[in-house]
Amino acid sequence: MSYVLPIGPYHPSLEEPIHAKLYTEGEMIKDAEVFVGYNHRGIEKLCTERNAIQTLVLVERVCGICSHSHALTYAMCVEDINKIEVPKRGDYIRVITAELERLHSHLLWMGIACHIIGHDSMFMHIWDERELVMDLLERLSGNRVNYAMVTIGGSRRDIDDQLRRDMLSDLVKLKTMLDRDVDIVLTDKTIALRTKNVGVMKTADAVRMGAVGPHARASGVDVDVRRDSPYSAYGDFKFKVPVTPNGDVFDRVVVRALECYESVSIIMQALDNLPEGPINLGNKLPRIKEGVSVKRHEAPRGALSYMVIGKNALENARVSIHVPSFKNTPTVPFMLRNNTVADAGLIIASIDPCFSCLDR
Amino acid sequence: MQEYKITAITRDEIVPLAERMHKAGIFLVMIHGYRDKEGQLVVSYDYAVDPAIEAYQITGEENLPSIGEIYDTSATWAERELNELYGVTFEGLDLSQRLFLPEDMLETEGKGQIMVTPLSELVKNMEAKEVGKV
Repeated sequence: MSYVLPIGPYHPSLEEPIHAKLYTEGEMIKDAEVFVGYNHRGIEKLCTERNAIQTLVLVERVCGICSHSHALTYAMCVEDINKIEVPKRGDYIRVITAELERLHSHLLWMGIACHIIGHDSMFMHIWDERELVMDLLERLSGNRVNYAMVTIGGSRRDIDDQLRRDMLSDLVKLKTMLDRDVDIVLTDKTIALRTKNVGVMKTADAVRMGAVGPHARASGVDVDVRRDSPYSAYGDFKFKVPVTPNGDVFDRVVVRALECYESVSIIMQALDNLPEGPINLGNKLPRIKEGVSVKRHEAPRGALSYMVIGKNALENARVSIHVPSFKNTPTVPFMLRNNTVADAGLIIASIDPCFSCLDR
Repeated sequence: MQEYKITAITRDEIVPLAERMHKAGIFLVMIHGYRDKEGQLVVSYDYAVDPAIEAYQITGEENLPSIGEIYDTSATWAERELNELYGVTFEGLDLSQRLFLPEDMLETEGKGQIMVTPLSELVKNMEAKEVGKV
């Protein structure tokens, strides 16, 4: 029997609003459509009537998880237009915050994925580890959601020696906790049964649809802006880019789990080699010169790009924000096809969607 | 360092360029749009030619060919967004459904106008509409 099953925009298995229409034959999804825009706040429009410092505050509110990524990418554009060189220490602190953000985002997603498949004990363990990361972010920035660590020309808060030592020892603890949980996640039969060969997207399809981030890497696409087009201080660190070939939900777990280790390694390298010197050029309100800049940053969900146009005024002439979920969400209908209705929530969640980012 | 290289192209070059880029395995970063100082629409096709971004820009054209056949949803979603924000039309693109803007905005002053109308005017229009409802 055929029927159309709506999921969302508000649904218990969805963390954020999206409307998916599933065209089913019995239990099987034959086709699907997604509809977005339930969280549209007109942030790009608002940016055109704000100065650079106000815009930093605003773009941090695009997303509650990758808030630092937005501020960082916007700041890189303004710095490029105004030819501002960020002090090395400021760049290192930006990278440390970005990688802590990636850690907490990946752990948040892994916990939610376990929760969706009913493995709530793992959800609690993983979120317990995430708390360690959140505590570090809170000590570093004074905040747990919008870190406000970026200013035009550097970082806003420094890392003192005590914090540096504490971060290093907490990261060692986190590594041990990750070892235990990653081992369980990768060997548990329940998790494997619910995630292997579910929501498959092959390499060619991922390339065709322009998937980005861990979602693309789990489908065998070897892309990572941090390595392919280094920015900030990323060129100073050694790290691997995990890529897996199968393109199913299980591989998306594997890629994110392995990326957590790489983030820990990058933060440790940055803390061990933290340069001396200033962290910013003084919190001055810049006039955004006439010009255009496009910058990319590897946010936790993939490549985030900003285009900023200056008109030699305090306000931006245009800010165009393109988030990883903008590329990954359209792949959802493709992945849903020929899977069961019971897996729909998990498949939608497997791209680690952020509709708050997507809708802006 | 991420370099940004801009090249001006014509409308007829959009599809062959996209085909060439796609064949070379180059990602379409984004299709951005904005109005320049003279009020002309600029549409920028940004490709990730690592480590740089190569931007191919068309100025003053409000109707463009879609590259959805080549870059699939990576292009069509960006094109749909540009249609809502700036009113650009793309030949061969399905525009039967909204992407971001609410349906009532698409029917009225929102579509194609939202990025050029000052915020204060948009708020005034919205308030007038609310009063009308009462």
